[in-house]
Amino acid sequence: MSEIVSCHTSESPGITAEGNPFRNGLWKQNPVFVMVLGMCPTLAITNSVRNAVSMGFATTFVMVISYGLISMIRKLIPKQVRIATYIAILAMAVTVVDFLVKAISIPIYLALGAYIPLIVSNCLTLERAEAYAGKQPVMKSMLDGLGMGFGFTIALTMLGAVREVLGAGTFLGVHVFSKNFEPWVLFLLPPGGFISLAMWLLFFAWWKERSAKRAVIREAAPEMAIATEVNA
Amino acid sequence: MIRLLGAVSLICGLLIVGTNLLTSARIRSNQETIMRNSVSELLPGAQKQIIYGVEPSGELKILPGLDTPGQRLFAGYDASGKLLGIVIESSARGYADLIQAMYSYSPEKQEIIGFKIVDMRDTTHPATVVKHGSKKNPWEIDAISGATISSRAVGKLIATSEQDVLPVVRKNLERIEKGE
Repeated sequence: MSEIVSCHTSESPGITAEGNPFRNGLWKQNPVFVMVLGMCPTLAITNSVRNAVSMGFATTFVMVISYGLISMIRKLIPKQVRIATYIAILAMAVTVVDFLVKAISIPIYLALGAYIPLIVSNCLTLERAEAYAGKQPVMKSMLDGLGMGFGFTIALTMLGAVREVLGAGTFLGVHVFSKNFEPWVLFLLPPGGFISLAMWLLFFAWWKERSAKRAVIREAAPEMAIATEVNA
Repeated sequence: MIRLLGAVSLICGLLIVGTNLLTSARIRSNQETIMRNSVSELLPGAQKQIIYGVEPSGELKILPGLDTPGQRLFAGYDASGKLLGIVIESSARGYADLIQAMYSYSPEKQEIIGFKIVDMRDTTHPATVVKHGSKKNPWEIDAISGATISSRAVGKLIATSEQDVLPVVRKNLERIEKGE
């Protein structure tokens, strides 16, 4: 529950109802790389691509189903009990996912362990329920859940890929290096999660700054910018 | 307000029950497969398996399948019919929920020869930290580290089941060796 306390408010920068809700969640308001939400599963279960993708899809399912239901009854929910209602609906969706994962694959269920039930207290799911689904129509809310879920899955997969490749020398269980490669086991351990996340965040910060600089140059002197790009 | 919360809870409850009904058969079948695979993993080379149920009187009964609840033992035999070992199910309370495990016991060596976690909800997996290294004595476990409560639960589940089940195994060993 400590995560919920540290959640952003609906006035957080970057969280707006403007634009395409699906595309926003996917990249512009990516829950991990932009909003830095849902850090608990992000750091804990991304030690392999398979775990990361499974967790991402489980969270996406929870978000789409629960945001649809929350949005459907949003006008009936009294303000005083809205959080309790959101948690009840999220808990139902998480329990359904728990049964489904167990029915689909027990090894994945065992690998994800306690992190499936913890989706209910994931900052991301409750935050979007409060900031978006509780105020927007059903289709938009479900699209937001889908976009945020896919954005979350992409981010987890990117982290999982770095950690699995460097930490185990494999990608989806397939060896990608020669036999001489000594795996950096550190990347499979908790510090590896922090290091990988920091690497990705630094990369995106550098990329954003570079794009902003280019945009300024393009605005100031469009011909020079084109010439620079052609030369590059 | 109360009516709305009641209605939301009722709908959520119905959806959970519905999903449970739809998935329970599949989950049971998956668990059976996992259990059979675990027995093969814990007793490498086992060609034949016999499942015994432990009755309250301490007697053993051959079970036709995995549907019967209660304490079960899985005896594994090689191609010539020689008993390779017995896999015992056990559980103990971990941090989040019950930790269910299986371990293989060799009556010939009188030692635990394999261990596997079958189900657990704790965030740290003790199965990944129970190591098999250079042991000085056959009863030694090299290390269990990570989560304190999960590690203790693993020790407890082995100790409890050894006290309860091994006397039954010893009493019926001749029968188990013959596969009766």
